[in-house]
Amino acid sequence: MKVVTGVVGNDIHVVANRLIDLSLRARGFEVFNLGVNTYLEEFFDAAVETGAEILLISSLNGEAEGWGREVKLLKAKYKDLDNLIMMIGGNLVVGHGNAEDIVPKYKNYGFDLVCHQVDLNTGLDSLEEFIQKRNRK
Amino acid sequence: MSQQNNKLLIDVGSTYFKVSTNDNIEQHFRDFNKDILDDLIHRCGDTIKRFDKDDVYICSSANGGLNTLIIGITKTYSLKYATNIAFNSGINIIDTILYQNIAEYSVPSDLVDVVIIVGGIDSCAGLFSDSLYSYLAKLSYSNIVFVGSEQDAPALKEQISNLVVLPNVIDNKLHIVEDYLKEYLTNLYQQDIEGKEDIKSLYDITANQIYPTPYIVNKALPEIDTRYSVVNPFILLDIGGATTDIHYSKDLVDENIVTKNEFDRLVFKKLGVFKSKQSLIFTAKNNEFVYELLMHLKVTENIFNEQSQKATKILMQLAIFLVLCKISHYRKAYINLKFLTINSFVLTGGITKVLTKEEIENIVAFFYKKILTSEHRPVVVLDSNYDIWTLGVKGD
Ligand code: B12
Repeated sequence: MKVVTGVVGNDIHVVANRLIDLSLRARGFEVFNLGVNTYLEEFFDAAVETGAEILLISSLNGEAEGWGREVKLLKAKYKDLDNLIMMIGGNLVVGHGNAEDIVPKYKNYGFDLVCHQVDLNTGLDSLEEFIQKRNRK
Repeated sequence: MSQQNNKLLIDVGSTYFKVSTNDNIEQHFRDFNKDILDDLIHRCGDTIKRFDKDDVYICSSANGGLNTLIIGITKTYSLKYATNIAFNSGINIIDTILYQNIAEYSVPSDLVDVVIIVGGIDSCAGLFSDSLYSYLAKLSYSNIVFVGSEQDAPALKEQISNLVVLPNVIDNKLHIVEDYLKEYLTNLYQQDIEGKEDIKSLYDITANQIYPTPYIVNKALPEIDTRYSVVNPFILLDIGGATTDIHYSKDLVDENIVTKNEFDRLVFKKLGVFKSKQSLIFTAKNNEFVYELLMHLKVTENIFNEQSQKATKILMQLAIFLVLCKISHYRKAYINLKFLTINSFVLTGGITKVLTKEEIENIVAFFYKKILTSEHRPVVVLDSNYDIWTLGVKGD
């Protein structure tokens, strides 16, 4: 499966991004890594150009909230992205927060999978489960 | 060097032409009642006669070049990449169409020289369908080229007659592949120049290939510091009679486009001071800062109706301001230059014969202050002797 990934906004924390790229490949995904400093529109555009089924966004510096709020509006402008699996992870708030509050909020923004300060492998396991469930349907 | 000294360089523009020998540059307004060759011979016949056909080099932007309409599937990749390649090949862009909304776009009534269809990496398929074909059925065009996913090429070829298929401009890493489309467009441009009766006759006086002027200018830029002490990064403005060209260092844009060029080009087709004077005035009247600028220059709107040296000067100053607006955050074109890091503004073309350095600095300062609220002041360099153009032609 094809995955578009990258770090959203002005965020330049690159280490997780490299690890995500490697881990996804190791799990057999075809990866399109847009790197750090990637804007929402670039993510969606890359999904269109590549025909990716999954969009995996990371955010480390606390910017995610601001971008999260724009996801629905922007995605609605695209006619062929309804089936795109949307995942986000990293540090999803500024400072500390707990997952019970954060996860529902991001789901409401339009994400299927939300991993606030979740270890990468755990996160990717949940992605694979999600895909399997969806395929069974 | 001695060989280069014996070259005659001719640039034919939409409004005037210039003729340069080693020791002299002449510039003349074109007489539109005459064929270009007759006009040239009439004005500079003696000079031309002194040169062997092998030593005459001509470039032309006389017909404003070719125009293109680009249909792509995203703004960030397909449309942006094709736009970048088209501009760098010397082609003017009439419009870009985001394919998913194609039904909502109006169809240009003028003949389009070349339609570019683009989208998808090679492993992506089924991106285009009937809405494309019904749009094309309403459009009149001379050439059509597909540079998208190789898997989609056969289907498109079946539906679109005379479709030229070239390798994808987007590779599997989502990077740009310029060469094939660039070569195709440059060749079309070349054929167009050669096909125009007017230009064709110029081959009576030269044995060399006639090139598009923007191509020549772009080629000269990496060597610009052999002529001027230009501090990188810089932008170059060529404000002509019909169009305004901007060439800019790649450092000035944050781009996902990674190309071999050090400089990119952008054209504003309807922003010239002679042939497209009316549309320049129209654009000016729609800019909220223009009245303030006119006041700053101590003139009123009435200047637009005048025919004088003063009026031409004001129009040129306006053209500089409007073009800068168009590439700033204020009126974003497809690029947005980092103005605060520009160190030099280089101006070439007819404008250097009309405006002084101070008059240009005045506008640049106004722009930085009003639009960017900045005190930054890049150095203004005037290429008043067409050194850049000369560099480009000679380099060939
Ligand atoms: C190194 C670092 C930097 C370096 C980055 C160098 C570089 N080019 O990468 C520098 C010094 C430049 C930097 C700058 C800043 N940083 Co910093 N930085 C860090 C630091 C110390 C380590 C980050 C790192 O590389 N970790 C190693 C990787 C492997 O771990 P990770 O990033 O956490 O990613 C893991 C998980 O989060 C997860 N993951 C990540 N994405 C995703 C996605 C999915 C879907 C899933 C499932 C999992 C997942 O997988 C990874 C492996 O398990 C952290 C603190 C920390 N200890 O985490 C702060 C930290 C991330 N930085 C922070 C801040 C605030 C900044 C600055 C704003 C500081 C400033 N005031 O200037 C700037 C922002 C710059 C910018 N434009 O982005 C804060 C963010 C706080 C927040 N979110 O509220 C942190 C958390 C420090 C802190 N505790 O305050 N930073």
